Amino acid sequence: MRLSLNLKEKIFATILIMPCLIFVIVFAFYPIFFSFWLSLHRVIIGLPSINNVFVGIDNYLSLFQDKVALHAMLNTLIFVSISTFFEILFGLVIAIVIHKKFKGRGIIRASVLVPWAIPTVVSSQMWRFIFNDKYGVLNFIIYGTDIAKYKAWLAEPFYAFVAIIVADVWKTSSFAALLILAGLQNIPEELYDAAKIDGANAWQRFRKITLPLIKPSLLIALLFRSMDAFRVFDLVFVMTQGGPADATNVLQFYGYKKIFGEGFMGYGSTISVLVFIISFVIALIYIKTIRIKLFQNDK
Amino acid sequence: MDKIKIKKILIIFLLPFFIFLFLGCQKKEQPKKIKLYFVTWKPNIPEVWDEIYRIFKEREPNIELIKEIGPHSSTAFHDMLTQKLKNRSKDVDVFLMDVVWVAEFASAGWAMPLDDFFPSSEQKKFLEGSILANTYKGKIYGIPLFIDSGMLFYRKDLLEKYGFLPPKTWQDMVSQAEVIIKGEKKEGKEIYGFSGQFKQYEGLVCNMMEYILSNGGYIIEPQTGKIGITDTPAIEAVSFVRDSIIGKIAPKGVLTYEEPESLDLFIQGKVIFHRNWPYAWKVSNEPFSSRIVGKVGISKLPHFPMGKSYSTLGGWQVGISSFSKNKKVAWKFVKFLTSEEVQKLIAIKASKAPTRTALYNDPDILKVNPQFTWMKEVFITAYPRPRSPLYPAISNILQRYFSKVISNPNLDVKKEAETTFKELQKILSLNK
Repeated sequence: MRLSLNLKEKIFATILIMPCLIFVIVFAFYPIFFSFWLSLHRVIIGLPSINNVFVGIDNYLSLFQDKVALHAMLNTLIFVSISTFFEILFGLVIAIVIHKKFKGRGIIRASVLVPWAIPTVVSSQMWRFIFNDKYGVLNFIIYGTDIAKYKAWLAEPFYAFVAIIVADVWKTSSFAALLILAGLQNIPEELYDAAKIDGANAWQRFRKITLPLIKPSLLIALLFRSMDAFRVFDLVFVMTQGGPADATNVLQFYGYKKIFGEGFMGYGSTISVLVFIISFVIALIYIKTIRIKLFQNDK
Repeated sequence: MDKIKIKKILIIFLLPFFIFLFLGCQKKEQPKKIKLYFVTWKPNIPEVWDEIYRIFKEREPNIELIKEIGPHSSTAFHDMLTQKLKNRSKDVDVFLMDVVWVAEFASAGWAMPLDDFFPSSEQKKFLEGSILANTYKGKIYGIPLFIDSGMLFYRKDLLEKYGFLPPKTWQDMVSQAEVIIKGEKKEGKEIYGFSGQFKQYEGLVCNMMEYILSNGGYIIEPQTGKIGITDTPAIEAVSFVRDSIIGKIAPKGVLTYEEPESLDLFIQGKVIFHRNWPYAWKVSNEPFSSRIVGKVGISKLPHFPMGKSYSTLGGWQVGISSFSKNKKVAWKFVKFLTSEEVQKLIAIKASKAPTRTALYNDPDILKVNPQFTWMKEVFITAYPRPRSPLYPAISNILQRYFSKVISNPNLDVKKEAETTFKELQKILSLNK
């Protein structure tokens, strides 16, 4: 049998994308749909006799009445907005510094990325030691050897929350910096030269040239960071376990506790689905705005 | 040019593959051993466990014991272990079980009933409470390895110096601590009054339960299932911890402490009183790491003036996974682990209290742990935590409540307790 060239090409193309497609279906779509299915059922590991009952949107209704979940939601939102803000800010500063030509730039560039390269679990453990009340270096820096004044940072709800933000900002600012740096490098030098001739000072050049031109990469950094921050888990898991008094309890950690700790698979999945939907929406909004921005640049 | 590049990249990626293939071919055929997977936690005193493994290896050369070592925190260990069991993992044959998990593991079908291996004639040789804790709906699911209950450790030398006897009530403990802290400060020594476990985790429930019970209250009454956290004794006890202990005689840092951190403070000589499980006796008398060797006293936990002393029942059991392929071999290991010989070893070298009654008359054990003579009585009366397949959920609610009220002096305890009451009721009603 002879196939037309077109068909042959199509079959070949299908075979080529098959592995990738199967991978995505097995590891992305299946878990998402399974979570969704679970979220519509009552599945409690400890009580197999009453399991797999279809409960409709009951889980979702109780989620919105669950004070702990709502509190976790609020924590997550505060965490996302504050940490992303500082990450982009510091990322911008770092990017501008390492964009400049100076001696030893290579080493500085590499070392800036070190925090990002360390696995979160390791860096969280490190920060836990830094904030420790008895032998933490932070207390030593602030109070010296006056041990009586040493503060138990992670024991106070407010400071514990600040602590996880600090740890996150420290770790991922360099990632934001990397994205912004890529944007900076795309700006042609001539623009600055022309502006200089026109008598624009450094601030004006930054405001009128740098900022508008790196907007797309700023947005991309914002997108990545806020979606990532929304799914914060490992930091909390290692540093505070959600305590003290639930002050650092974030949605992902609460869901984890429900599923893996308490065995409430159905209800826990409801939380996961919510996190999924929210980060999906964030992604959609950003993608839309980024596209508009990119088109504007094309004109 | 490009083609060469692609080739180079391909070679770089494929090279490791070939190396592995090559190494794989070289592997020599070894006599077949039965693999037995044992999920355990990071022990406080690892040398004892090394010795136990060594003895087992000598006795059963055909069994290859593969240890998976989980985190120290009971809550974190639970999450790791249940994840494996939920997936019917083949990498679990034998596992350690906290005393509060038995109902859940049995109800979920993860732990296999051991009645055939472990008949009631054998069960009689163990402490009654520990057997009861392992029984769910008439069947036994774990063999008790050692038993734990909360104890008060104190600095014998300091109490003697200031002419105090070990405190009978919590109030005594606080006032003694205040006097000693003041006195030591005059001599230029910084010392805290008390350390315990108050982080938001399982240990917090154990600690708080002891205060509540010793004031005549209860969390959930075992027989009737009544919730008692809104009753006056419970509210009083919780308020006492918040107002007189946390940030007062105990450093505020105890809100982040599990057992190791709180014990560290004690063995560094930085606290006068310390609440912990019996193993702390061994650790605080370890010459290499402890600064208070020979200066430690141990007694029953204090109580409130109107109540009597209570300890939370803890301890670890050995269970066999329902999904294990080598159940008979697994039993060999479990039997060995819970044998008189191994329990004696653990009692002598790690100060863990045995579950076999006969060992409480063993002169070798009593020589190292003279406290076991009177501690047996504490173990017998030790109070179990609520027994339910939903215990992890119950515990999380309690942890949240306790952590919230003891870390914030401005909260209305009664109001928080009422919210918690409703949450507990909701969970308990699922299992009816």
